[in-house]
Amino acid sequence: MHMADALISPLVGGTMWVATAGVAAYSIKKIQTEMDEKKIPLMGVMGAFIFASQMINFTIPGTGSSGHIGGGLILAILLGPYAGFLTLASVLTIQALFFADGGLLALGSNVFNMGFFTCFVAYPLIYKVLMGKGYSTKRIIVVSVIAAIIGLQLGAFGVVLETLFSGKTELPFGTFVLLMQPIHLAIGAIEGLVTAAIVTYIWNQRPEIIERAASGEAIGNASIKKVALGLISVALITGAGLSWFASSNPDGLEWAISKTTGTAELESPVGLHQKLSDLQSKIAFLPDYSFKAPESEAGQGAGEGEEAWPAVSEGTSTAGLVGGGMTLALAALVGAGISLLKRRKYRANS
Amino acid sequence: MANIMNSLYNMRLLDDLARQETIIHKLHPLMKLLTTVSFLTVVVSFGRYEISGLLPLFVYPVMVFSLAELPLKPILLRILLVSPFIIGIGILNPFFDQQIYRLGGMEISRGWLTFLSILIKSGLTVTAALLLIASTGMDRLAGALRMLKIPRIFVLQLLLTYRYISVLMEEVARTLRAYSLRAPNQKGVHRSAWGSLAGQLILRTFDRAQRIYEAMCLRGFTGEYETGGFKEIRVWDIAYWAGWMLFFVAARLYNIPMVIGSLITGVIR
Amino acid sequence: MSHHKLEAKDLHYSYPDDHEAVKGMSFCIHHGESVGIIGANGAGKSTLLMLLMGVLFPSQGEVCVGDVHVTKKTLPMIRQRLGMVFQDPDDQLFMSTVYDDVAFGPRNYKLDEKEVETRVLHALELVGILHLKDRAPFKLSGGEKRAAAIASVLSMHPDVLVMDEPTAALDPKSRRRVMKLLTSFKHTKIITSHDLDMIYEMCDRTIVIKNGEIAADGVTSEILVNAQLMDECGLEVPLAMQNCPVCGSAKE
Repeated sequence: MHMADALISPLVGGTMWVATAGVAAYSIKKIQTEMDEKKIPLMGVMGAFIFASQMINFTIPGTGSSGHIGGGLILAILLGPYAGFLTLASVLTIQALFFADGGLLALGSNVFNMGFFTCFVAYPLIYKVLMGKGYSTKRIIVVSVIAAIIGLQLGAFGVVLETLFSGKTELPFGTFVLLMQPIHLAIGAIEGLVTAAIVTYIWNQRPEIIERAASGEAIGNASIKKVALGLISVALITGAGLSWFASSNPDGLEWAISKTTGTAELESPVGLHQKLSDLQSKIAFLPDYSFKAPESEAGQGAGEGEEAWPAVSEGTSTAGLVGGGMTLALAALVGAGISLLKRRKYRANS
Repeated sequence: MANIMNSLYNMRLLDDLARQETIIHKLHPLMKLLTTVSFLTVVVSFGRYEISGLLPLFVYPVMVFSLAELPLKPILLRILLVSPFIIGIGILNPFFDQQIYRLGGMEISRGWLTFLSILIKSGLTVTAALLLIASTGMDRLAGALRMLKIPRIFVLQLLLTYRYISVLMEEVARTLRAYSLRAPNQKGVHRSAWGSLAGQLILRTFDRAQRIYEAMCLRGFTGEYETGGFKEIRVWDIAYWAGWMLFFVAARLYNIPMVIGSLITGVIR
Repeated sequence: MSHHKLEAKDLHYSYPDDHEAVKGMSFCIHHGESVGIIGANGAGKSTLLMLLMGVLFPSQGEVCVGDVHVTKKTLPMIRQRLGMVFQDPDDQLFMSTVYDDVAFGPRNYKLDEKEVETRVLHALELVGILHLKDRAPFKLSGGEKRAAAIASVLSMHPDVLVMDEPTAALDPKSRRRVMKLLTSFKHTKIITSHDLDMIYEMCDRTIVIKNGEIAADGVTSEILVNAQLMDECGLEVPLAMQNCPVCGSAKE
């Protein structure tokens, strides 16, 4: 359920980046005050393990399919929430860089969706609370499944909200929710079962690992509240700030608002188009050329409760096609030219 | 499993590519990171119906590809493989938005336009991220992160994860091979071995972390890691970033293909 | 040069599960000596190395490097003088390039970057892998990894090199290369290994460990040929010393 760069708007991506950076900074501070430098290599190697564990297909009994471990919950259980969150963050960073899973702008959202909800919601509020009475095989299974499902449901809902606020797809909210949530119910159940099997094994072999992760992590209500409050305020402030900046360039959020309120969105900056039209009128040999004029069209669109659609005449669309082709050809030419020059240089040198 | 081994191969390839010495490789990693982020922001800031305005941005990956002398095939293959999620979400657009749009005499539904727009954005963003790592490398990128004041602990841990991916992948692969040799008719790991197989791998990972920690301590590690000096930012590095910024902003503000196209069609008329 | 000696006095160590791994070991290693430490699996070799390096602290007895006792306080200084090469180079090479790995130690001692560079390049040159300095450790072959691990210790300018199975998992040529390299160093060397032929060639003195105690300590050429002692300690006479496997004729 990686959120992709192509589906996110700068506003949503930026806001989620700030929220994630806030949680990460808080986690780093927590680890530093615990003075547990032993954890640094452990976090690093466990991150690599989460990667490698994707190779293991856990066969689901009774079906032909198999599942994987996602990582957030098991990391929180084995390393504690702070170290777990940071470890997952570095795993996702490497995935974004090397495998283009997600993307750099969407990284904040992905870390938040997969790390925050598991390490700071499912683990402390579900797993630890339900597990409070002590470990037993049965309880480990039930609690892990519940925690994994809740963590994944929240994460999946995060994906839905972020995608909708970004406004790059046409999917209606209801359809998207009905698409995402049930799939992640199944995924969550499997993840919970696998997590439970692993935790049970480690609990039997080396109980001190799980005890160490659970203790010392003073997740009192106070600190959770502080995190949550801090996060919400930071997200609000940046959201407000970014919307203000973005107001001249209406994008995702406004699209979502316009979708719900029925008011129209402006596809591109109005002022610019005016400038462009001015410029165009000055260029005499282009009399027929018509720039798209969203302002006038938008007014009509709003009347019908329909979203604005840039007015496109036959002429502009042809111009667009021709120009688009030319641009691509030009880009290809530049690349080919550089490669040719380089090759010649090599030949000259050798 | 073959797929994952492919990923490992891919990681090593990117690492090799990053050790070349071209004009792009020699640029300051921080400026390359900033350029990439600026590029991504501009790409995704385009509206969902936009296609022609996105096209000039192809110049950036094309230039970096050729200047950094990177092989097209493996990276393009990666892009094709990436994120079924995007296509999965995007392919639904044509079903939800069937308004007709006329394009040069053809009639297509608007949903296809938004789908195409998503595909183009996906191609551009994925390429940009891969180009960054293929021309910079993880170690130099980590240096750039340190310059951005990302805490040492996180950077060190990120590098450790990167470093041990191949070690642990080989370890997991060995274990799985041993499992499958004695369980010939199973596709995956049976439920009865879920906990012990993965659990033992985790315990071994904990032991390895302990040994690494000892190796670090024996060489004077006290929780603070010194990264060494930073590479100096030259005027040329800043010029590189500034130049691209100008281009990105121009491409965002002016629909370049429209201008070119109208020039041509206008002249013909 | 008394400050170069390494002394263990009546060392005892028990693990948290009450298993007593080291039961009263004493020995003194002098400057420039090459000492092999051998013993069966579980005899206590690794625990002994950990005690010498100050990773573990003895429950009784003490370790002295020169005139300094190994305690928490003196650790930074001790560790600068004792360099340990781990059995698995993957545990020791944890940075993303060979250069950064070799620089890790000197940087932790807050040397300025110029000095760090000199030391790194020198160490890499000594082990003959200067050309690999920008490589990622996972791209190296087994022998190259071993050389890099040794360089990562040499850059700290230690007086004593402590090595855990330096020839493990190497092909014969790489093994020979590592042995040649180690012989060329003038450092005091402490080597644990099951590669008895290597010990025989490289170490003048050998300490045999059995069940956490020292079973023998003396000249290598006398200890390793003592078939009865070797057998009792779960070892055997080095292949190079055994009778010819084809004709059965004894070595002269």
